[in-house]
Amino acid sequence: MSDAVSRRELLSKLVRGSVLAGMGGAALFLVKKANGEIVWQVDASRCVNSRLGEVGVEACTLCTSECVVSLSAVRAVNDFSKCGRCNVCPAYFDITSAVNELGLPSQKLCPRDAITRKMIGAADPEDPANNFYEYVIDEEKCDGCGRCVMKCKAPLGLGSITLKVRYNKCLDCNRCAISLSCPKDAVTQVPKMAGLEIKLAEHTE
Amino acid sequence: MPRALRALSVVVLLLAAAAALCAQAIEYSRPVETAPQQETIGGGYKTPAVQKPLPRGWWLDILDVVLLCAAMGASVWIVIKRRKRRWLVGLSIASLAYFGFYREGCICPIGSIQNVVVALADPKYSIPMVAIAVFFMPLVVAVFFGRAFCGGVCPLGAMQELVVIKPLRVPKRLDQGLGLLKYVYLALAILFALKPALTRDFLICRFDPFVGFFRFTGAPYMLATGGVFLIGGMFIGRPYCRYLCPYGGLLSWCSRLARKGVTITPDKELDCGLCTEACPYGAIDQMRAVGRKCLYCARCYASCPCDGELAQAKKALVGIGGAQ
Repeated sequence: MSDAVSRRELLSKLVRGSVLAGMGGAALFLVKKANGEIVWQVDASRCVNSRLGEVGVEACTLCTSECVVSLSAVRAVNDFSKCGRCNVCPAYFDITSAVNELGLPSQKLCPRDAITRKMIGAADPEDPANNFYEYVIDEEKCDGCGRCVMKCKAPLGLGSITLKVRYNKCLDCNRCAISLSCPKDAVTQVPKMAGLEIKLAEHTE
Repeated sequence: MPRALRALSVVVLLLAAAAALCAQAIEYSRPVETAPQQETIGGGYKTPAVQKPLPRGWWLDILDVVLLCAAMGASVWIVIKRRKRRWLVGLSIASLAYFGFYREGCICPIGSIQNVVVALADPKYSIPMVAIAVFFMPLVVAVFFGRAFCGGVCPLGAMQELVVIKPLRVPKRLDQGLGLLKYVYLALAILFALKPALTRDFLICRFDPFVGFFRFTGAPYMLATGGVFLIGGMFIGRPYCRYLCPYGGLLSWCSRLARKGVTITPDKELDCGLCTEACPYGAIDQMRAVGRKCLYCARCYASCPCDGELAQAKKALVGIGGAQ
């Protein structure tokens, strides 16, 4: 009786050992492969809101509605080196709205009022239209709806605003929900360094 | 005739007003052809850096893994050594807060099945280190101690654990039949993960019932499914864990090998069956804990007259009686 029990014990030890060894082997195999991380990023040349040629259509807001986190992990980002700093910015103002007493459109474009502007230098007293502004998009307010991106691109603007993934919000889902519904397949997985634009930044500086 | 005229004049006026409104919109043309740069602007102006929020630091990933380890250790210690149901509820709430609401249900061992499968099958796919650790650790623990991950650590489990109010006994046959569903789900998840990269689908993530609650947003059908699981979970103990969780399937295989899991101690027992009554998961069969079904909730110990809180209450009562 005790012999049978000890034999069973031995067998179970053997099974357990082999299961653990198998798991260890699989883990080692996987660890070897776990090099080079990938992240999701919006390809501006494919995104409907930023790619050239598609004007006069409604901005695509899927990045806002499809993302699984409550404030979308995609946000609009203004590349200041490309920004025209215009007095009447088509991404800041709704240029179809009525003109107010200052000669500017009365409505702003952003539905969440995420864009603020600050005059650069001193105001020109003779010609108020001759002032330049710095346009900053508030990270915490922007939900990546892309309306400003659509208006900023040529011919209206210089295309300095594009949609980008913010990695402090992105959960790095196995299959990004936005990528599933994106009509232009603009949300793709890229190597981490490319996604963070680290090399690009070093290159331009 | 005058009435028609009046109506006509109103229409004309309205049209004129509309035209005037339209005319009031600005005549827009792009004022500059090239972006002014720091040098052309002058006045000491500095072009601000582009906003680039970086991902979580790597040490936070390590912290996740360490916390998962610690939580499983705590779960084993509380259930096997201390046999304290209340402490385990505390651990469940803490895990739910951290792995569920703070980490928004990502990354979880249940979903990591798919990453592991994809990494094994697709040579181009690079799996995150965290996913490897998170996938194997609960399985290793299960080989020695049983499903310690399920009790007190898994946020999905904790969510259901906390809503069990009046569990009904599921007939054994039905319980076994429904239990097979999780293997079907596991097979489907693996099958969909094995597809080529473009058509690959991550079923477990897509149909995770509670992740919508953790993130306070989600597709309506998923929130509805989660709600059904929670309401159903009041009367059927942890339905997702027992009948659908694909990782639960793997854990229950591993826990068959466990020798130090939850046991109903034979030398102390009374054969009263209170533990069987108390177990909402049908994991006590003929007064013995069934390791592959046991979800580490410690309800059996809490209800035992020889052990746990009931026994302590009894001792206290005896103490009072002795004093009188």
